Amino acid sequence: MRKFFTFIGEVSHFGLKGLVDAFRPPFEWEFFVLQIEQIGWQSLPLILAAGLALGIVLSMHTRGTLVQFGAEALIPTLQSASFFNELGPLVTGLLVAGRVGAGIGAGIANMRVTEQIDAIESLSIDSFKMLVVTRIVACILILPMLTLFMDFASLAGGFVSEHFVSHISLRLYLDRAFKTVEWANFIPPTLKTSVFGFIIGTVSGFFGYTTDEGSEGVQRAATNSVVLSSLLIILADVILVKAIFFLFPRDAI
Amino acid sequence: MNDKAAVEFERVFKTFGNRKVLDDVSFKVNAGEALCIMGRSGTGKSVTLKLMIGLLKPDSGKVCIDSEDIAHSSEEDLSRVRRHMGFLFQSAALFDSFTLADNLALPLRRLDRSKSPSEIDRAVDEALEQVGLDLDKAKTPAELSGGMRKRAGLARALVLRPKLILVDEPSSGLDRITASEIDDLLLKVKKEYRATLVIVTHDVRGARRVGDHIAVLDRGRLIGFGTATELEKSDHDIVRQLVSES
Repeated sequence: MRKFFTFIGEVSHFGLKGLVDAFRPPFEWEFFVLQIEQIGWQSLPLILAAGLALGIVLSMHTRGTLVQFGAEALIPTLQSASFFNELGPLVTGLLVAGRVGAGIGAGIANMRVTEQIDAIESLSIDSFKMLVVTRIVACILILPMLTLFMDFASLAGGFVSEHFVSHISLRLYLDRAFKTVEWANFIPPTLKTSVFGFIIGTVSGFFGYTTDEGSEGVQRAATNSVVLSSLLIILADVILVKAIFFLFPRDAI
Repeated sequence: MNDKAAVEFERVFKTFGNRKVLDDVSFKVNAGEALCIMGRSGTGKSVTLKLMIGLLKPDSGKVCIDSEDIAHSSEEDLSRVRRHMGFLFQSAALFDSFTLADNLALPLRRLDRSKSPSEIDRAVDEALEQVGLDLDKAKTPAELSGGMRKRAGLARALVLRPKLILVDEPSSGLDRITASEIDDLLLKVKKEYRATLVIVTHDVRGARRVGDHIAVLDRGRLIGFGTATELEKSDHDIVRQLVSES
């Protein structure tokens, strides 16, 4: 039990140090831009493909049920409500945890094992800022943007699916999709993914940066990064949804 | 060569947990000389190098570089001292995601901010030419052989034209011919840069060829220090075994 709380304390301290160091010069712009490219740009195809596919699948599933009640007109509304409120943020968080979390964990661990971190330190460069802080900040900033792409890709998928079945026009589909969407139930769920980004960057960075077990440590860092990041994202989601309902009570109805 | 100490260890102790890695180690390396540190695995050789560049701090004692005690210096002072040092890591430790040219440019951009981009390019080209990799500057480390990676690591250590070069196991994982080529390069660098070299090695042939002096560590203690000929007459069996070529 003591070991568990020590671990929680170490990870929390690691993440908070990352946040504090993000505001302390010198800023590693070059490496930050590189991370934006690797974490954001390179995740985009996966996010778009997943969003499109989930949009189609959700539309097909809901149609069967809603048609029985003559409520197929609600399909676009249900689609947007599901994705903007919950599915988009959560699925984006989990997908990025899988793709990026493993990469960050294994990448930094490999740098530790092959003495690249020592080489960085020997040049009087703060390796924590260069390798960890840039990744945490990039994850925090990029997750909401990827979530937007996921949301709109899923709407596109939903439209394609509906169009083939009911020949609904794009304009009507979008009208129905956005009829009930308000800033309050769009912005907070999207921004909550910054917390997911913080979790992914911190947890993966921690396992990678603190490894000291050779190639086995690299493998373990990758696995642990994905497992713990995913678990914490799901737990954080429960808390954040509750917090959003508390701050915006109308969304809870 | 002169008698001014480029590196001086004074009663250095270092432990990791309960394990004594360095136990009251004192020695000095004069400017322009090459010291080879030998010893069995796990006797504190690499730790000695990491203490010299400030990656580790001793538990007690002094680690002086050009008469400046870096064990108790600030990050800023350490950064200034490191400006005149180069480190060739055992695995070369080239940055995977960078090209060779970018690997070499990083120390210049970080530690020598007076250089313009064109001066940096020129310095990178010169260092790569020095180790015979001038045609490979656009390659990434993954595209290089073990020997090429070692030479690239050496080029990165040389790019700041350092006065003190620290080398960790230059011949590990290399065949005898390639290891000998790396030794040739080290000798060339020592002569051209008038640099001080500290080399951790298991290769007795290389140590006798490159080193002016050899230090032998055993279980954290310095049990031999001198020329190869002097150490051949040591009272310690381990020292005689390590420096003997046969």
